[in-house]
Amino acid sequence: MLKKINLKNKTALVTGAGKGLGKACAIALAEAGAKVIILSRTKSDLDKVSKIINRTKGSSNSFVCDVTQIEVFKKILQKITRLDILVNNAGNNRPEHFTKVKQENMEYLTNLNMKAAFNVAQLCSQKMVMAKNRRKIGGSIIHMSSQLGKVGCEGRNVYNMNKFGVEGLARGMAVELAEYNIRVNTVCPTFVETPMVKKFFKNKKFKKQMLENIPLGRVAKESDVATAVAFLAADTSEMITGTSLIVDGGWTAK
Amino acid sequence: MGLFLKDINLKGKTALITGATKGLGRGTAIAIAQAGGNIVAVGRNQNELDSLKKIIKRLKVKYLSINCDVNNYNKIKSYILNLKSLDVLVNNAGTNIPESFLNVKKESLETILDVNTKAAFNVAQLCANQIIKLKRKSGSIINISSIFGLVAGEKRTVYSMTKFGLEGLTKGMALDLAKFNIRVNSVCPNIVLTPRTKKYFADKKYNKYVKDNTPINKVVTISDVATAVTFLASEASSMITGTSIPIDGGWTAK
Repeated sequence: MLKKINLKNKTALVTGAGKGLGKACAIALAEAGAKVIILSRTKSDLDKVSKIINRTKGSSNSFVCDVTQIEVFKKILQKITRLDILVNNAGNNRPEHFTKVKQENMEYLTNLNMKAAFNVAQLCSQKMVMAKNRRKIGGSIIHMSSQLGKVGCEGRNVYNMNKFGVEGLARGMAVELAEYNIRVNTVCPTFVETPMVKKFFKNKKFKKQMLENIPLGRVAKESDVATAVAFLAADTSEMITGTSLIVDGGWTAK
Repeated sequence: MGLFLKDINLKGKTALITGATKGLGRGTAIAIAQAGGNIVAVGRNQNELDSLKKIIKRLKVKYLSINCDVNNYNKIKSYILNLKSLDVLVNNAGTNIPESFLNVKKESLETILDVNTKAAFNVAQLCANQIIKLKRKSGSIINISSIFGLVAGEKRTVYSMTKFGLEGLTKGMALDLAKFNIRVNSVCPNIVLTPRTKKYFADKKYNKYVKDNTPINKVVTISDVATAVTFLASEASSMITGTSIPIDGGWTAK
């Protein structure tokens, strides 16, 4: 009756896998038995993640790649023979008040969080549908969204726009890829203890304000999010598609 | 527990499941027992409670059966307040009488509201109080909702009213219980193939209606739902509260 989170014989690609959530997801998927392909802009980060995966007897393959350079990504994808899972994770944030958002920041965030996310998802989907037995074995795409893909937040208007967009993309993709038995979902974490968030939390007032908004009274751990991603990647969730798994300690329930 | 992948593990935990004799409730009881959890099964049919006992006992966990109608407030209260151990509630007992809105009978409305709304509230309140009284470190309550807690369906006005209500209750409870580290979530299955729904699926028109509305061209199984419930019951989802997991093959993504 109870299905296990088991990814043996699956190949998963994780973008932004050098640090933070992407790194945690890559390691968690490897722990569940997947062969993991990790991408990041920084080789030294990739090497560290590979080492950890090797230590846990997992298997990984790494490529240096800025996902906004879509031609580079395409070439990497050509070297991969099979793909069952995509964790579309690469993303960034530059908080600014709406009236003060700099044009270049809006461009940068939108190019990364939306355009690259779309391109990576499209190219990976094209690769996934080519497998003749896809309908039988299924596939899973998980977009790294955010609680800010569900609700607004001060100084997060561009990020809100991007992540609400990813929520829409996930639903559209889910409907279109269902015929190939490829599921598409998002994970919406609250603030997670990652290098990116630690930087924001240096602002004590901001940290207090954010924690007050999380009913469970704590930020998420990387393992909370990575486990949710693994659950969505595996057959444990074989009838879950076109939805969001919200890992926010109750933030959006209010 | 790996580095980043958490186990779906309920060893040492006790879960109370209402409507445990049949279908989803029975499947969930078995899944939770497979994850190591002790079972308190609430149902109205002693033969079925006994046959469930045989299955649960084989999984080497404790089993307690409560032969009680959840509508009988005083009786269910005395049972729950006497439990020595309780960490998880699967608030599953529910019913449906499909009738078109204009023809809904007074007694159908009463019956569905009594079970799906009032008894669901009462059992949740009693269990939450008991979990707090027993000073458990954490708790998890899973309300069994439905896609009709998220969208409408034909001849489902009363059912939708009660399940939308349950979605509201889930979020409200999540906020009130967060400080006790009790998480509250719902699962929203599509029409699941169970002994009760088998007769619906025998109707070709109905079968087509379900298929046409489910992008992933499969029927949801009891195991799909039981696995999601067990995930939510366990610490693998320790930052997930106040949300819903649709298990609907994409029904509500459209």
